[in-house]
Amino acid sequence: MFRAMVPRAAPRSLLRPVGGAQSSIRPSAFYVLDRSRRGYATEAEEKDLVVIGGGVAGYVAAIKAGQAGLKVTCIEKRGALGGTCLNVGCIPSKSLLNNSHMYHSILHDTKNRGIDVGDVKLNLAQMMKAKETSVSGLTKGIEFLFKKNNVEYIKGTGAFTDEHTIAVNLLDGGETSVKGKNIIIATGSEATPFPGLTIDEEKIITSTGAIALQKVPKKMVVIGGGIIGLEMGSVWSRLGSEVTVVEFLGQIGGPGMDNEIAKLTQKLLTKQGMKFKLNTKVMGGDDSGETVKINVEAAKGGKEELLDADVVLVAIGRRPYTAGLNFEKIGLEADDKGRLVIDQEFRTKIPHIRVIGDCTFGPMLAHKAEEEGVAVAEFITKGYGHVNYGAIPSVMYSHPEVAWVGQNEQELKAADVKYKSGSFPFSANSRAKTNLDTEGIVKFLADAETDRILGVHIVGPNAGEMIAEATLALEYGASCEDVARTSHAHPTLSEAFKEAAMATYDKAIHY
Amino acid sequence: MASIASACRLSARVAGRQLRQHGSARAFHPAPASLAAHNFTMPALSPTMTEGNIASWKVKEGDSFSAGDVLLEIETDKAQMDVEAQDDGKLAKITQGDGTKGIQVGSRIAVTAEPDDDLSSLEIPPEEKPAAAPKKESKEPSASKPKAESAPPVKEQKASPPAPSSSKSSESAPQAQAQKQKYPLYPSVAALLKENGLAKEDADTIPSTGPGGRLLKGDVLAYLGAIEKSYPLEQSKRIEKLSHLDLSNIKIAPPKKDAAREKPAAAPEAVEELDTEIAVPISLTAVLECQKRIKDSVGIFLPISTFIARAAELANDGLPRSKTAKPSADELFNAVLGLDKVSGPSVSRGHFVPQVTALPPVSLKTSKPAPRKGKSDILDILAGKKSVPRSVSTPITSGGKGVVAPVNVFSVSVPKGDERRAQVFLERVKVVLEAEPGRLIL
Repeated sequence: MFRAMVPRAAPRSLLRPVGGAQSSIRPSAFYVLDRSRRGYATEAEEKDLVVIGGGVAGYVAAIKAGQAGLKVTCIEKRGALGGTCLNVGCIPSKSLLNNSHMYHSILHDTKNRGIDVGDVKLNLAQMMKAKETSVSGLTKGIEFLFKKNNVEYIKGTGAFTDEHTIAVNLLDGGETSVKGKNIIIATGSEATPFPGLTIDEEKIITSTGAIALQKVPKKMVVIGGGIIGLEMGSVWSRLGSEVTVVEFLGQIGGPGMDNEIAKLTQKLLTKQGMKFKLNTKVMGGDDSGETVKINVEAAKGGKEELLDADVVLVAIGRRPYTAGLNFEKIGLEADDKGRLVIDQEFRTKIPHIRVIGDCTFGPMLAHKAEEEGVAVAEFITKGYGHVNYGAIPSVMYSHPEVAWVGQNEQELKAADVKYKSGSFPFSANSRAKTNLDTEGIVKFLADAETDRILGVHIVGPNAGEMIAEATLALEYGASCEDVARTSHAHPTLSEAFKEAAMATYDKAIHY
Repeated sequence: MASIASACRLSARVAGRQLRQHGSARAFHPAPASLAAHNFTMPALSPTMTEGNIASWKVKEGDSFSAGDVLLEIETDKAQMDVEAQDDGKLAKITQGDGTKGIQVGSRIAVTAEPDDDLSSLEIPPEEKPAAAPKKESKEPSASKPKAESAPPVKEQKASPPAPSSSKSSESAPQAQAQKQKYPLYPSVAALLKENGLAKEDADTIPSTGPGGRLLKGDVLAYLGAIEKSYPLEQSKRIEKLSHLDLSNIKIAPPKKDAAREKPAAAPEAVEELDTEIAVPISLTAVLECQKRIKDSVGIFLPISTFIARAAELANDGLPRSKTAKPSADELFNAVLGLDKVSGPSVSRGHFVPQVTALPPVSLKTSKPAPRKGKSDILDILAGKKSVPRSVSTPITSGGKGVVAPVNVFSVSVPKGDERRAQVFLERVKVVLEAEPGRLIL
């Protein structure tokens, strides 16, 4: 039995007289001895893929590539995986949005529903702790997924030394270097600072500071009426702040939001107590005193005004973050907004280096980055990946939520497309009625000729979940009639979605 | 010959319309010489188009064109469209010049040739009558067909030998193709078909413009004539464009002043993913002595392979885990929670079988070295190894160092990540074989 375990070649060489065996020596025998010695060396082997950045784009790409059997290393400087989204963005803000909403409804709403609550008090520290529990659970979860999929995780800051090598300044001190056949840059983005205001994350804050305030500010000014500004404004408004949103453009919600939806949203948020100053320019600020003074003026020139705030949230957008990456050294290019230049397959000038996520083109959304993470791994392993940039949904988690996918009315007008519009209000939806949560509408935009859905825009309870159906419809090129002829459960909010589709190509039943 | 020629033609990748006509043309034309020249007929820009006007030719007679070039512009009462070449070729003759109106779909508008054909010696094939369908190929063109273009074949000398033509200068306008609908029809499509008395099978003949060739409501509406025929395709193209990142008009930021572009170092060659061979020299002197002792005392001859197999069996026990081994979900959770340090190092049983190669003594004079004893031997060797500079170019010196006597090299071939495991295995084999081989057979 033991004999069977020894390879057939072994006895032969064993029986050879030891002294006279020179002639049969393979030179490789010496070479392999040397190879074995290399096992003691510290020099790292070359990886199939090195991902710089453990945010949503980076960790998804790393896991996907690991699943495909590649040897993957992921470098992250934050010390926790998940990037902005998980650590200081989407996830913690959703925790605060949800809990502040509960607090707000208990304070103002439950009485009408027949629930009398005694003394309601806000425990902000506990609310922050709940947020941190969610975040740390999720980042640990990614670490688990890394182990499961054999992704090596290096905590440190990466910088290119050459096309294949990245020097890593380790968080725990010391340095190492990683070599990769393929490299993915997924370094993400940071909040764009407002010229003239110094961010200290206490009085003048970005979204990062807005999810970690120690006490509820009395007055808060939000510069920028985009999604981030409105979400964080909502949180602190619900917790008791007097929030004023200053927006340079004529509508809130940023450029993607449909005009009609933006107006409706603004109305609903105003009803909740937020104040809006549209078409207003921030001229400068002074944070030397106890409070911050913000100078504003009508965008088209006009009267000046002085706003006073305990906390100023700068939410005018985000910009690519590539500091310290040293990408110029190896000849990579960025455009005038700092986005790394890529082609349709995410390749830079150097084809084995690819860029995904916020630090390159496209909307700065976690789910877009995630799509790209999967696609880029597939481009590397299979030669083809898929991201449909025409069907990426956007969601604002205010209450009611706002969600949209595809094109909006102003874009269709600009593209000279003939379209039909149809909408259905939640006030005519049975489930919304029973929930006493009837604000908002579902609005379809479809081609006037073919009825193909071009865009769907929703304000209303659970809009963020409902937009998935619209995204699927867009992905499949469905028409309003296709949605309308599909059964939707009763009584659900999604019936409003179906009725809006009916209203677009024909007539709604219940309105 | 003609039939072979027509068979060649039919097998070539040509647009459907053109395909129909070549076969019939060959039947009338006995000369193989004309294989190089082809009639180029009026394409149909939409399924319902019957005639059109030539706005202008974009390629002149005698000019070459390559696939994708715009050959001419055609206008109908509804739209104006470019016709692109699908293959490389040469425009031999234009038979319907700029501004010709009311040309029936399928009638000849030009003659094309292979890119390397000599036009002066090219025979212009006769006009082919548009055939309605492949089935009618063998029939005489019916009288109801549009009047043939009367340009007679240009008098030419015998043409050059037929080119082995696998690529045909077949051109077509952008147009949606019908395809078999493999998925359930969309509810709107199914409803429209029913309402208009169309069978489910008809769906396969309707040009489809949806993602992945799916048939959309708009396609059926266009097919039924309810909307502009070309509209669904135009719409599809517009939406398709939105599905890609807009990477046009990128303004490259000027490089920073201090970022002097160093010439990037040449990319290191990709290391091939070979199995690593781990080898350790092991003296079998002790084993041979032991073997002899047993032979002398008990009279049983135990082959060396038995010693090795038993040593391997022992050494395979409880090896450190392979780096590439997949830990279980439990272990991963433990690792995340930090419990893995509590439960001690994880080990697993190996399945290594050593490969043994004889190694000569460094010096032939040392014919009978003293047998090695105890652990110190290994340490010596290990220490010796470490002191040798790591270098691939000096394998002999490094290999020879520390090897004194009748020594065999034990090696195992392992995938990357298993090196440590193999190293431990071999060192254990070494200990057992060199120190106390007698225990192996007790």
